[in-house]
Amino acid sequence: MNRWSKRPSGANVLAGAFLLLVAAVILYPVLMAVLGSFKTNAELNGGGAFWPTHWQFANYSKAWKGANFARFSWNSLFVSAAATVGTLIVAAMAAYAADRRDFPGKRLAIAVQASTMFISIGAVVLKPQFDLMVAVGLHRTLWGVVLILIAGHAGTYFMLASFMRSIPRDLDEAAMIDGSGFFRTFRSIILPLLKPGLGVAGLFVFRSAWNEYILPSVFTMTNPKLQTLTVGLANLRYGVSAAMQTDLMLAGACISLLPLLLVYLLANKSFVQVTAGSVKG
Amino acid sequence: MHRTRIKLEAVAFTLPSLLLTLALGIYPIFWAIRYMFYEYAGYGTPKFVGLYNFERLYHDERFWNAVTNTLVYAGGKLLVTLPLSLLLAVLLNRRMRGAGLFKTIFFMPTVLSASVMSIVFYVIFNSYNGMLNQLLQQLGWSRGVEWLGANYAMLTMILIAIWGAVGNYMLLFLAGLQGIPRDIYESASIDGARPAQQFFYITIPMLGPVLQMVMLLAITVSLKGYESIMVLTQGGPFGKTDVMFLYVYKMFFPVASTTAEVQQFGYGSAVGFAAALLIGAVTLIYFYASKKLNSLY
Repeated sequence: MNRWSKRPSGANVLAGAFLLLVAAVILYPVLMAVLGSFKTNAELNGGGAFWPTHWQFANYSKAWKGANFARFSWNSLFVSAAATVGTLIVAAMAAYAADRRDFPGKRLAIAVQASTMFISIGAVVLKPQFDLMVAVGLHRTLWGVVLILIAGHAGTYFMLASFMRSIPRDLDEAAMIDGSGFFRTFRSIILPLLKPGLGVAGLFVFRSAWNEYILPSVFTMTNPKLQTLTVGLANLRYGVSAAMQTDLMLAGACISLLPLLLVYLLANKSFVQVTAGSVKG
Repeated sequence: MHRTRIKLEAVAFTLPSLLLTLALGIYPIFWAIRYMFYEYAGYGTPKFVGLYNFERLYHDERFWNAVTNTLVYAGGKLLVTLPLSLLLAVLLNRRMRGAGLFKTIFFMPTVLSASVMSIVFYVIFNSYNGMLNQLLQQLGWSRGVEWLGANYAMLTMILIAIWGAVGNYMLLFLAGLQGIPRDIYESASIDGARPAQQFFYITIPMLGPVLQMVMLLAITVSLKGYESIMVLTQGGPFGKTDVMFLYVYKMFFPVASTTAEVQQFGYGSAVGFAAALLIGAVTLIYFYASKKLNSLY
């Protein structure tokens, strides 16, 4: 095996070429989105060159101010941040109680969490969820979306529970003996030690909240002010303006993609670790 | 006394999680189970119709069209994604320069929003003046391809799904491959086993459990997906890309381009329930088939 990496054999060249080809195909749409976001509409629709002839930074200000992407970005950021913090708190508390204590109904609570991960009836659930939010008066704010996202915390719950299991019980027992209560042990012993787990889980929650499309699109159908980036962008495709605004679409797409791309490049070890960890169990 | 307090505290810590899940995760399912026996358009009183919705489902050509499309969509995606991602994982599992960079690139689509990427893919695949057709024309293929037309829309949707999934499964396979001790390969190559033989007689059997788990995950995920179809084609043209869960969605939230739709919460619930049952059935069939295969080894 080692021999392979030193002397390029025919098979090795072939493998390398294949990997490069796949990498090119994977990168192509993202690259086209980034380069295209700097082209004029005429250039995009008329079959221009690979590189923009004149870099149209104005596309971004057009999207940001004219097409409301400043508003969409803020909404996305709010939903994602609130959902991340809320999910982490709710899931960490529940995981702590389940891992460290016995209480009536514990097995049922765990089973309820697990069941939500396996049952899926599609968009049907959005209707009763929306009705509930109307009943509590949250359907005209983004808090409704945030609450529904937090409610889907089963994955985070199990992920944090497995992190929690690796924190030695002796630590919190010692703290308890020294008079630290259930809550204080959680706050000053468990949470600090859980930080790596919270970081990784938070990354995943943030990603899926930021990318969520169907839920916010249903909740903001009659309230364009609350639209997130994904919804605002998709509306450019089916919007009222008949003329296709390709330049706006691509600039908007980049505004939505780039923050996550940046996070991914900085933290791709964490993404990779957890995804791989889900196999090893 | 002390014990009860500790128990109460633990219950209190579980309550936010439990209440949210019951209200927004479990209750909606019971809501659907109730309304699938009703006719309900969102206003007025729901009318109890017994099993009528299921009778209607049985004769609903659009539903069965969506079922067929779902199987084609998921099947097409998996037939390419799984072998391709396994191949990539095997290639990257060797000690080679740049493996980390390749992994980062291949996994990247997993991080990006499916709906946003669908808008980008719309610009690329657009039949009239999309980037891909422009490229094909520059290469001398003057007519271009109607990527989102009736003949090719499903293929295009499958290609996009593959693009988004390959990196994820590659990573899962890589994790499995790293569990196979390297000396097995070394002794095999000393015994003269060629790479292809090593792959079929060592890698595949040793990867068995991981392979089964990943495939189970892949099957359920691909049968459920409809987000990028919703953004790109809304199930069109002529229902060619309509999949089960998109059909369910349209019953609840009629989309602009299909004006003939009316909200049908009762029937929609029945369709959603049937779709979930079908996915469950496919999963079970896979489960038993893979068990059978297991005993053959």
